[in-house]
Amino acid sequence: MVMIVGLEEENKEIESNMRELARGLLKEKKVDVIIGYKKGTLPMMSQPIIIDKEEDVDKLLWNNTCYVNLAKYLVPRVAKFVDPEKGNLKVGVVAKGCVGRALIHLASENRINLDEITIIGIPCNGVINRQRIEMEIGEKEILEVTASGNNIVVKGKNFEKEFPFDEYMNELCKQCKIRSPPLVSKFPDLHVGACEEYASIVDEFDDIAEFEAKSPEEKWAYIQDALSVCTRCYACREACPMCYCNLCFVDQNKPIWFGKTTDMPDIIVYHLIRAMHMAGRCVACGACSLVCPMGIDLNFINRKLEKIVKQRFDFTSGLDPDTLPPMTDFKMEDAEEFMLEED
Amino acid sequence: MTEQAIEKQTESEKWEPKIIAFLCNWCSYAGADLAGVSRIQYPPNIRIVRVPCSGRINAYFIIKSLTDGWDGVVVSGCHPGDCHYISGNLVARRRFAILKELLEFFGIEPGRVNFMWASAAEGERFAVLIRKATEIVKKLGPNKKFEKKW
Amino acid sequence: MDEKLLKKSDISKLFNEVKDEYNFYAPKKVRGNISFELISDAKEIELDYLNSKVPPKDVLFPQKETIFEYHYEGKDVIIDERKDLEDKLLIFGVRPCDAYSFKLLEDFFAFGEFQDDVFLKKRENATIIGIGCNEPRQSCFCTSVGGHPYQKESTDVFLSDLGDYYLVETITEKGKDLVKKLSWLTDAKKGDVEKSKALAKQAEESFTTKFNFDLVTKVLDENFENPVWEEIAESCIGCSSCTFLCPTCTCFDVIDENDEYNHRGRRIRIWDTCQSCLYTLETSGHNPRPEKIQRCRNRIMHKFSYYPSNYDRLGCVGCGRCIVACPVNNELRLIIDKILEIEQKEEGEKANA
Repeated sequence: MVMIVGLEEENKEIESNMRELARGLLKEKKVDVIIGYKKGTLPMMSQPIIIDKEEDVDKLLWNNTCYVNLAKYLVPRVAKFVDPEKGNLKVGVVAKGCVGRALIHLASENRINLDEITIIGIPCNGVINRQRIEMEIGEKEILEVTASGNNIVVKGKNFEKEFPFDEYMNELCKQCKIRSPPLVSKFPDLHVGACEEYASIVDEFDDIAEFEAKSPEEKWAYIQDALSVCTRCYACREACPMCYCNLCFVDQNKPIWFGKTTDMPDIIVYHLIRAMHMAGRCVACGACSLVCPMGIDLNFINRKLEKIVKQRFDFTSGLDPDTLPPMTDFKMEDAEEFMLEED
Repeated sequence: MTEQAIEKQTESEKWEPKIIAFLCNWCSYAGADLAGVSRIQYPPNIRIVRVPCSGRINAYFIIKSLTDGWDGVVVSGCHPGDCHYISGNLVARRRFAILKELLEFFGIEPGRVNFMWASAAEGERFAVLIRKATEIVKKLGPNKKFEKKW
Repeated sequence: MDEKLLKKSDISKLFNEVKDEYNFYAPKKVRGNISFELISDAKEIELDYLNSKVPPKDVLFPQKETIFEYHYEGKDVIIDERKDLEDKLLIFGVRPCDAYSFKLLEDFFAFGEFQDDVFLKKRENATIIGIGCNEPRQSCFCTSVGGHPYQKESTDVFLSDLGDYYLVETITEKGKDLVKKLSWLTDAKKGDVEKSKALAKQAEESFTTKFNFDLVTKVLDENFENPVWEEIAESCIGCSSCTFLCPTCTCFDVIDENDEYNHRGRRIRIWDTCQSCLYTLETSGHNPRPEKIQRCRNRIMHKFSYYPSNYDRLGCVGCGRCIVACPVNNELRLIIDKILEIEQKEEGEKANA
């Protein structure tokens, strides 16, 4: 990716455009509330914020630490999005590509009514891989993180280190082909700001080829090692815009399907089944990995899912609210090379 | 096999897998029945659970079987197009495809989980496929990956 | 002089000396995170760390712990009590905030007539070597909850990091026993003690996060139904990072695992969290804390209101883990600010009237 301007200027431009759009929407009463990001209290953090007044627009922010997928706050709607008298309010969502995809995909699952939201599109330039930077800095406190040129500058007491953004971007952002929210022709009023039309997504999935080529033992060892630190706090689940079940399968206790302990089989089963449930639904926002307190990288599993769904069913999630998600659909001619057959 | 030959078998050769088989009520279960009444021999390693349709099979069932210590799982339903409920097996097929690939991706032997179609008239085919599935699982050995440390 | 000196390069010597007698736990890097792990090789011990990701509570009250096992003999069920509870534990390098958290854990596990044998026995057999904090983080606030970066409570031996070596102070009898074994420790000079005191003072002054918790407790007691809770819970996504990484959270869930094939089973306990919707779900299906707002409120109320009224101390040690861990940055400092705003508003109203 060639960047003409530095990261800092790029963010500034995105931010000021977004604020203008938000101001306009609130002024013309096209939306009742807007959800976006505001500056966090820690150097590599941003916080979701809901605003309903014009003067608060300047609190909105865009930088490369806006991890959280804001679609999460719409399913189910948080209290501020529902008026006791008017019912569901019209919500403006500050949306990078993956937030837009999440909203559209949730609409295809009938969880969101697209008439009730407005997508404020942002041409996202990726978010940083917070945990990777933290781990490389090691046991030192990070006090300030800024963008300069194409680098992320991390400052602390007695140290300063630069990380090339292209390298230290979140893994899914590196592969992202849908940076701005997709346009939906059926809802021309749904979008303001930078949105794009995506005809077909071409993806080679080179990034996981190396892992796929490993032997089963190596894969198993890697998976075990990667997940061994999981504390099963379920932050990955709670941050995922697609995890909206009232009762998650791991919480079900009539019957208890799977163990709740941090024994290795239980952890692996949790991540395996969660992956199953994400098939054809993951919108590649990477929130699950970025919120993990233990810094587990779940991205490679999500990439694999994307690959399976793309290659088998030629489906990319979050592009069209009228296409059925692949796991609720079928075709007579679906490949079945894995079925047991007589010789 | 002679008694001497049996004695000569190594531990791993003696070991017999336990396989749980989820069979669709309308085709495969009847197929298994036909294999039985036709006196077609197939390995006694499978334990059958009758389900209304292969579309009933959730990944939970399969993974739960593996965590509970079964060495292998077989799911059998009607041939595509023959489903009693029109499309249950077609929806299930997509699920199976994903599960199979994910298991492989996680480094878990995909051979432990086998899917097949067998109609009510295909007693012979049912026996052949069960034989095949048993051989695959036997080659993989006991299911250790989901075993909890005690 | 009671104080001794321990060279940092001699840590392996210390480890080798005591490893046979104690189960030696120390900070270790596991996949990029520091946590307190059973050490088998002195090289694994990480000395240069701010604080562990998972608190050392994990040693005494692990995330998954077997309470007892049982097996069948014929038709009889035989209970196998745990035998490893008598093992002596040594936890090396506990920060003062985490050491203080053991006190709070004791409060809970020994409360009233119900004594938790598993925890208390382990606690009794544990020797704790604390280390003073020279560089508190921005998110640290132990001075606000009655702690101090050089606070020695709940430690048996206390170390001060003086660069290449540690100043060793013995606090309790248990600590004395341990130090006696390490006859090769050199005596400390007066200057070292002074140095340690200076460091303690310097650390104390470097705190940027300070709260008035007396006021917080008062405001909380009066504002259970305040609309501010809605604001606080707004961005919370209900993950449990804050509670799972908290050194004072004690909630657990008890599970029976039955291994029918091998005729045995065990009763285990695992960490539970008040942020989970199942936590308060009753058998009838009723849930007194059905929404995020109640759960969010419960965490704050428990730490800063219920704890003071039950145990006469705050349920927080000021380690700042929840501040760092929150994925949506809905962190304690902001929450406390919002709570204190209630009081300010009330005072403003009073002044106007």
